[in-house]
Amino acid sequence: MSDERPPEETDSGRRGLMTGSLMAAGLLTSYGAAGAIGARYLFPSGPGKRAWLFVARADELADGASVSYRSPSGQRVAIARQGLSGKVEDFVALSSTCPHLGCQVHWEAVNARFFCPCHNGTFDPAGLPTGGPPKEANQALPQFPLKIESGLLYIEVPVETLGGATAMQLDDTPPSPGAGHDPCLGPDCCGGELA
Amino acid sequence: MGVLVRWIQERVPITGDELRELTNEPVPNHLKRWWFCLGGTPAYLFVVQIVTGILLAFYYQASPETAYESVRYITEEASFGWFVRSLHKWAATLMVASVILHQLRVYFTGAYRKPREINWMIGMCLLVCTLTVGFTGYSLVYEQLSFWGATVGANIADGVPVVGGLAKQLLLAGEEYNDRTLSRFFLLHAAVLPTLMVILIAVHVTLIRLQGVTEFVDEKHPEKDRGSFNFFPDHLYTELIMGLVIMILLTTLSTILPATMGPPADPLTTPEVIKPEWFFYVAFRWLKLFSGTAAILSLGFIVFTMFVWPFIDAFLEKRWPRSEASVWIGIVGTLLIIGLTLWEAAVEH
Repeated sequence: MSDERPPEETDSGRRGLMTGSLMAAGLLTSYGAAGAIGARYLFPSGPGKRAWLFVARADELADGASVSYRSPSGQRVAIARQGLSGKVEDFVALSSTCPHLGCQVHWEAVNARFFCPCHNGTFDPAGLPTGGPPKEANQALPQFPLKIESGLLYIEVPVETLGGATAMQLDDTPPSPGAGHDPCLGPDCCGGELA
Repeated sequence: MGVLVRWIQERVPITGDELRELTNEPVPNHLKRWWFCLGGTPAYLFVVQIVTGILLAFYYQASPETAYESVRYITEEASFGWFVRSLHKWAATLMVASVILHQLRVYFTGAYRKPREINWMIGMCLLVCTLTVGFTGYSLVYEQLSFWGATVGANIADGVPVVGGLAKQLLLAGEEYNDRTLSRFFLLHAAVLPTLMVILIAVHVTLIRLQGVTEFVDEKHPEKDRGSFNFFPDHLYTELIMGLVIMILLTTLSTILPATMGPPADPLTTPEVIKPEWFFYVAFRWLKLFSGTAAILSLGFIVFTMFVWPFIDAFLEKRWPRSEASVWIGIVGTLLIIGLTLWEAAVEH
């Protein structure tokens, strides 16, 4: 099959195709780049600020004891000692954020369990799921990272607060010595919230 | 006067008769029944929401430090602020209810069938938008329900495989609720979603105009339903009467049961008893019955099934003609929704 159209018409068709392709590519690139920049702008630039903060001297916490720690953002963390090896593995720092859908659990002394009021999730004192959706999905309470340096126990926690509030304002209690340092050691200090 | 009319007609070259011809569509007789006004009702309420929403935005301040106080100011100090806010709240409630009733009416009269499948899907998009606007709306008050509702909602998004984490980050502007979250909810509620809804409503109405309203003939009184009447002014008058009734209802509800305020948001304490707005009771109960991922995936599957229902229905009709399967499935689905809603309403946990 030979192209019987006059050469000018073939040239014009080719030129049209090339112009159209270039225009489509240009539009796609420019609007695509604009869309990508817009999407990246909406996406948060990085994770929230976190910091390693001092909790207590590691040897001050007896085996089986726990403390209630209040982070600068006001979050309550249950830190418990479960061994005497002297290593960081002896300690766990349980978050009070339910792993199901992010509500705050609270300690029910009567039932010796953490309870999430949103969807009825329950956890034992070690943070393991015992009922509700977390049990079905086998979701334990999350833990905060801990480390021991020179015999001192540190925890990594978020330090950003909502609306510029401080832990003191959220808690309505006098400030503890140093931001984030609420080492509240001993069972009396836990306000009966922990076993 | 004549000069003015001539001046306008030179610039807008259309006569009254031409305008009437353009807008006047024959409307099937069955639309004289009041329950066929359920499509116009949410549209009317949407206009009420835009007007009252603009008024509320004059005082509302979208940040964790100021949001609750600004809503308190509107409710307790601004002149008629309590009334404007109550109208907004009740119009939202009635809008959700009327959208659901409209969809039930369309479903049970089979008005989604060929060639109206696309319009059903646009209607589904409008239902999802309406529920999302409701959700972002009560998140703005920054009371306890607002904060924990937003937290749970974002974590539900997080449970969606593959894109969930991204959706949560985009919604919250971070890993968790932070200082930049509330302004996103406000923009979604007051700009992004309403704009999307205006576009969807325009396409919805255009498709209705292009395809015409489905003719529904009651077999008991066929002579009453056959034929049509004029959209203008007959059906417009019906819609206007409906609008008046809605305004009376809204005013009464707003006066007798004005919008109140719960305790301010406390990001560290989830209240012992927490419930979302009534239209999310079904999802809330569903989330209690199944583990996170199973509940979220099954909810997504149900919404997807509703979305593509016209095609499933066509398949069922072809396979089992005259079985009325869609009616029975619709009845079971409706009873399930009512049952789960009542269950959630009746118990604390």
